[in-house]
Amino acid sequence: MEDKIGVFICTGYGIADALDVDALCKVATDEFNVPFCKTVESCEGPGLKSINEDIASEGLNKVVIAGISPRRYPDHAFPEQVMVEPVGLREQVVWCLPAAEEDTQMVAEDYLRMYLTRVKKRQPLEPFQPEETIDKSLLVVGGGIAGLTAAVEAAKAGYEVKLVEKTAVLGGWLAKQHKSIPTRPPYRDLEDTGIDELIAEVDANPKIKVYTSATTGEILGAPGLFDVTLKSAGNGKPEGEVVDQFRIGAIVQATGWRPADPREDLPYGKLDNVIRNVELEEMVKSQGRITRPSDGKEAKSVAFIQCGGCTNKEHHSYCSSICCLTSLKQALYVREQDENSKAYIFYEFMRTPGKYENFYRRAQEDDGIFLTRGDVTEVKPNDNGGLSVTARDTMLGEEIQVNVDLVVLAAGMIPNAADGEAIRALEDAKVTMVEGDSEAKKKDAAETLERLKQHDGTQILNLGYRQGPDLPSLEYGFPDSHFICFPYESRRTGIYPTGAARQPTDGMGSRADATGAALKAIQCVEMTARGEAVHPRAGDKSYPDFFMQRCTKCKRCTEECPFGVLNEDKEGTPLLRATRCRRCGVCMGACPERIVSFKDYSVDIVGSMIKAVNVPDEFEEKPRILVIACENDAFPALDLLGQHRLQSSPWIRTVPVRCLGSVNFVWITEAMSAGYDGVILIGCKYGDDYQCHFVKGSELASVREKNVREKLEQMAMDTERVELHQLQIDEYHKLPGIFEKFAELIDEIGMNPFKGM
Amino acid sequence: MVTAEKTESEQLQLGEQESPQTKPVPSTNGRPVVIDPDLDFIRSLSRQSRESYKKCFQCGTCSATCPISPDTNPFPRKEMAWALWGMRDRLLEDPDVWLCHHCNDCSVRCPRSGRPGDVLAAVRRECVIHYAAPRFLARWVSQPRFVPLLLGLPAVLLGLAIVLRDPIANALGLAAPLGESIVYSYSPWLPHWLINGFFGLFTLFALAAAIVGLVRFIRVIKAPGVWGATGPPTRSFMSSAWTAIKQIFTHDKFTSCTAEHSRPLSHLLVFFGFIALSVVTFWVITGRVNPLLRDAFVYPFSFLSPWKLLANIGGAAVFVGCVMMLRQRLRNRDNAGGSTYFDWAFVWTLFAVVVSGFATEALHYLRMAPHRHVVYFIHLVFVFTLLIYLPYSKFAHLLYRTTAMIYAQYYGRNGATSTAVARDGRVDEESHDQASTSGGALP
Repeated sequence: MEDKIGVFICTGYGIADALDVDALCKVATDEFNVPFCKTVESCEGPGLKSINEDIASEGLNKVVIAGISPRRYPDHAFPEQVMVEPVGLREQVVWCLPAAEEDTQMVAEDYLRMYLTRVKKRQPLEPFQPEETIDKSLLVVGGGIAGLTAAVEAAKAGYEVKLVEKTAVLGGWLAKQHKSIPTRPPYRDLEDTGIDELIAEVDANPKIKVYTSATTGEILGAPGLFDVTLKSAGNGKPEGEVVDQFRIGAIVQATGWRPADPREDLPYGKLDNVIRNVELEEMVKSQGRITRPSDGKEAKSVAFIQCGGCTNKEHHSYCSSICCLTSLKQALYVREQDENSKAYIFYEFMRTPGKYENFYRRAQEDDGIFLTRGDVTEVKPNDNGGLSVTARDTMLGEEIQVNVDLVVLAAGMIPNAADGEAIRALEDAKVTMVEGDSEAKKKDAAETLERLKQHDGTQILNLGYRQGPDLPSLEYGFPDSHFICFPYESRRTGIYPTGAARQPTDGMGSRADATGAALKAIQCVEMTARGEAVHPRAGDKSYPDFFMQRCTKCKRCTEECPFGVLNEDKEGTPLLRATRCRRCGVCMGACPERIVSFKDYSVDIVGSMIKAVNVPDEFEEKPRILVIACENDAFPALDLLGQHRLQSSPWIRTVPVRCLGSVNFVWITEAMSAGYDGVILIGCKYGDDYQCHFVKGSELASVREKNVREKLEQMAMDTERVELHQLQIDEYHKLPGIFEKFAELIDEIGMNPFKGM
Repeated sequence: MVTAEKTESEQLQLGEQESPQTKPVPSTNGRPVVIDPDLDFIRSLSRQSRESYKKCFQCGTCSATCPISPDTNPFPRKEMAWALWGMRDRLLEDPDVWLCHHCNDCSVRCPRSGRPGDVLAAVRRECVIHYAAPRFLARWVSQPRFVPLLLGLPAVLLGLAIVLRDPIANALGLAAPLGESIVYSYSPWLPHWLINGFFGLFTLFALAAAIVGLVRFIRVIKAPGVWGATGPPTRSFMSSAWTAIKQIFTHDKFTSCTAEHSRPLSHLLVFFGFIALSVVTFWVITGRVNPLLRDAFVYPFSFLSPWKLLANIGGAAVFVGCVMMLRQRLRNRDNAGGSTYFDWAFVWTLFAVVVSGFATEALHYLRMAPHRHVVYFIHLVFVFTLLIYLPYSKFAHLLYRTTAMIYAQYYGRNGATSTAVARDGRVDEESHDQASTSGGALP
C-alpha cells in the first residue's frame, strides 16, 4: 500500500507562542516532501475529532501529530489501520525550554524529523497467528485452596479447566486443618475451613476435569499451544505412566508450600513431645484432642515457639506471615480443650497484619494464653514426662522457664516451586564435567554443581523451555515476578504462579490471589488468540521477526531473553515461540547480526531516527546529546519534567525505546559517527529490587555498555561520552542535574572529533 | 550531635539526683524464674478490673505517664506483665502497688484500654485478703452476698449487749451509780459505758488483726531485693516515717493526678473530716474516764462548744467528700476508675456512717425519742462495719499504704522521693520526660 503521510501541528498549549510553526511545517513539506501539513488548535476533544476527519477525508495512512505527549491520548484515539506518531512537543519542548529561542526551535524541528523518519519506515502490523488454533482451556497445577479456587473461578467465567493434583485427594493443607483462622468480621472466631464445599463445587462443575495422583510429566509449546503430558504419581497406577495428554492455553501454578525444617538447636525429632505446627494440626484433625505423643496423656499446657524454622537466616530469612496466626489459632485449640489449660507463645515478632489484629486480641484476652517476646534457649525433658522451656529477653524482663506437656514449633513456609534456571545451569554443568574441553571450565562446572545441588530433581512443571524446566526463581525460591507492580506475572508468559507458591499466604489470601491468577490466565489466552502481547505491552500486535539466513547461532538471544521465548535446536539455532513473547526487544538488542526486527521497531528505524537529527558543526558550539530513554519509566519522567516546568537542556534529543535491553549498541557507534557528542541511556532500576518491566533489560544494557566503552576506545573516543542511569518515574527532578552535568562534561572533554566528517 | 549531648547531660543530672537501681526484680540467683500462671488469680483480677486487662502489649505508656514510676524500674508496666502471666505471689509481695493512688492517668492513656490503674486496685484487694487475719473475714467483706451477715452480726451483737445490759452491769458492779450519771449514760436504754465497752472490746480485736496483717506485710516488703535496693537503708526509720506522713497530709503525690482533678480534694475532705471526728470521739471517750476531768467534763456538749463544732465540721467534710466521691464514681467511670463492690462497699459505709450520725444528732436536738434511739442503733451498726472491718475492707489501705510509703522512703525507692515533684508543687517536666524515655523499657 502506498504511503499517504500527513502532519498535524498543534498551535495550542502555548506551542505557537514558543515555536515558529511555519518553519516546522516547512520541515515536513520541504525536507520530507509531505504533501499534507495542517495546523490545528488542539489535539484533544474537538481537535482530535477534526484530525480524524482529515485522516478519513484525505485517506492518510501515516500521521505525525506534533502536540501533546503520546501518553495523553485516550485508547483507540485513531483508526486501527492508521500508523500514528505523536510528538510530545508540549511536555518535552515547550514546557521545559525557553520560548521563542533558536535552540528551542531546533529541538522541535529535530523531533519532527525523527518521527517523520520513523513513520516513513514503519510497516503495517500483522498480528501473529499460528497455523494451529489457539486453545483457550486452562491447566491448574495443584489441588489446594488456591488451585481449587482458580479452577472454580475460571470455570465460572466459562473456560474449560484441567486440574492436576499430585496426591490422591483434593484440598491440600487446608483439608488437613481442624479450623481456619477468621476470614470475616469481626475476625475473632475460628471458622470451618470451607474446603469440603469448595471440593464439592469443583467435583460438580462439568467444566473442570480433575486428575488426582498425577503430575505434569511434560509441558511443551507456548501459550495457547501448550501440549501437556500427565504422568501417574503412584496410588494404584505404576509411577510415571502416562495418564493423559491434551492441549491447553495457559497454566496456573498453585503448587503450594511445604513446612520448613525446624531450628537445629531445638530437639525436634529427638524428643517425642516436640512437634511442628503442621503435626499439631493433623493431630487435632484426626483425634480431636491434643495429647503428648510420648504417652498419649492429654496436653494441659503447650508452648509455641515462633520462627521455629526461620532462624537459619541463611536459608530462611523471610517471614512466612501466617505462622503467628496459626499459633494463636492452635493456642485457642488448647484452651478449648480444658478451661484450666495453658498455652504459651514465645515470639520474636508477633505479626498479625490488618484485620487479624482483632484475632490477636481475641487470643491475648483469653485468660490462659500467655504471650511474650523471647529467645527460647533450651527445651529439655522435665520430671513429669513433659518439657521445660527456657527463654531469655522476655517481656517480663528476666529469663523465664515454663513447664509444659508439649512444645510446638511454628515452621515457616517454603514454596513448592523449582528454579528452572538453576536446574538448567546444573544440567549444563553436568555436561561440561563430561565433555568440557578445559580444566578451568570443568572447575567452574564443579563449583556450579556444588552450589546448586539442592535443585537436583526438583522439577515440577517440566516445561520444554531452553532456559529450564520451571519458572525462574527469586532469592527465596519464589517464582520471579514483578510483585510490586504486577503480581501473578511470572517470567514465563501464560504461566501464573499463585497462592503460597507465589508468596507466603493463608487460605483467605490464596483465594483472592488465585482468583486474580485465573483472570490473568484468561486474559492470556484471549489476547494470544487475537495475536496480541500480554502485559506489560498489553495489546501490542507487533512481534519479532528473525531473518534466519544471517543467524550465526551465537545463542545470545536464546540466553538473554528474559521470558524464555526462544528454544534452540541442537546446533543452537533459535526457534521462535512467538506466543511466549512480551515484545520487549531484548533479542533485538542482543543480536550482533541485527537480524531481529519488529514491523514498527527495528535497528534500522531507531538508527534512522537518531541520524535524522541535524547535528551542527563544532564551530557553532551547540553540542548534541542523544538520550535513549526507556518508555516505561524514563520517558514518562521526561514528560513529568515538563509538567513540573523544570528546565531541560536544549542539547538533548530523546529517543524512546521499548526497554533499555532492546538497545542495539550499534546505535551508539552510529550516533558517534553522526556527530553526537555523547549518549545518555536511562533505564529502570535493576538488581534484587528491580523495577524493569522486562526484568533483565536495564541490567543487560549495563553489561553491554561495557562492551560499547571498549568499542569507543577502539574509535579513539573518550569512554565518558556514554553514561547509563537508573531512574524511577518519580525521580524526574533528577533529570536536569543529569543533563547539566553531562553538558559540563562534554564542555570539558570537547566536542566529538568526528563531527562533520 | 547537639541533641545527643543534651540527653547525655540530662542523664548525668538525673544520675546525681537519684541513685540508680541495679536490680529491678527479685533476685533469682541467676536461674530462670519458673512461672506457672495462676488462672484463678487472673480470672479474679479480670473480674475486678471491669474489662479484661489481658490486652496489654507492654508499650510502657502507663510507666511513662505515671508520676510515681521510677526511671529505671517501669511501674506499673512490670506489674501489668506479672498480672498478664498470672504471677500471683510476686504481685502480692510487691509494695509498689500500694504507692499507687489510683489516679488513673495510666488507665486513661492506655492505648489498649488495659486500665492498669484498675488492675492495681484489684491487686490491692487481693493483698488485703491475702494479708488479713483471719482471711475468711476479708473474703466476706469483699463479696456482696455476705452483706446481710456482715450488717447482721454487729446488729445482733449490739442487740445482745443491750438485752444483757443489766446482768453485765451487775456482774461488773456498775449498776446504779453509773446508770444515772450523765457522764456514763446517754440513756438508760443505751448507756455509754456499754457502747464504750462494746466498741473497746471489738476495737482491740480489729487492732490485733491489723497488727497481724501488718507484720505479715512488713516481713514481705523487708525481704532483700523487693525495693530494688541492695544496700542497707540510708536514712532513719523515724525520718522516713515523718516524710511519709507529711506526704500523706499534703496529698502531694495524689494532687499530680490529671485524669480526675477533684479526686484528691474529695479524699482530703474525707481524710481531715475523719481525723476531726476521730479526735472528738477520742476526747469524749477519754474525757469521760479521765479522773482529772471527771467533773469539768460536761456532756452532751453544747451546740457551740468547740468540740461539737469540730465534730460537725468534720462530719460535714466527710459528707461532702463522700458525695463528691460517689458523684465521680457514678458520673465519670473512665477517669475515676472502675468501681468494684470492694470500692462501693467502703464509700457507702462511710456515707451511711456520716448520714446516720447527722440524723441521730438532728433527732437528738428535736428530742424525738425513741426514734433517735433506733437511728442511733443503726448509726452504731455502721460505725462497727466501718471500724471493726477496717483490716478486711478497702479501709485497710490506711494500714498498708502508709506502711509502704514509709518503707519506700526508708529504702530510698526511686520515684517515691520528692524529686518527681518540683519545688513549686507541679510535676517536674524534666524528670517526667525522663520517665517517658527510660520508663518505657524493661531492663
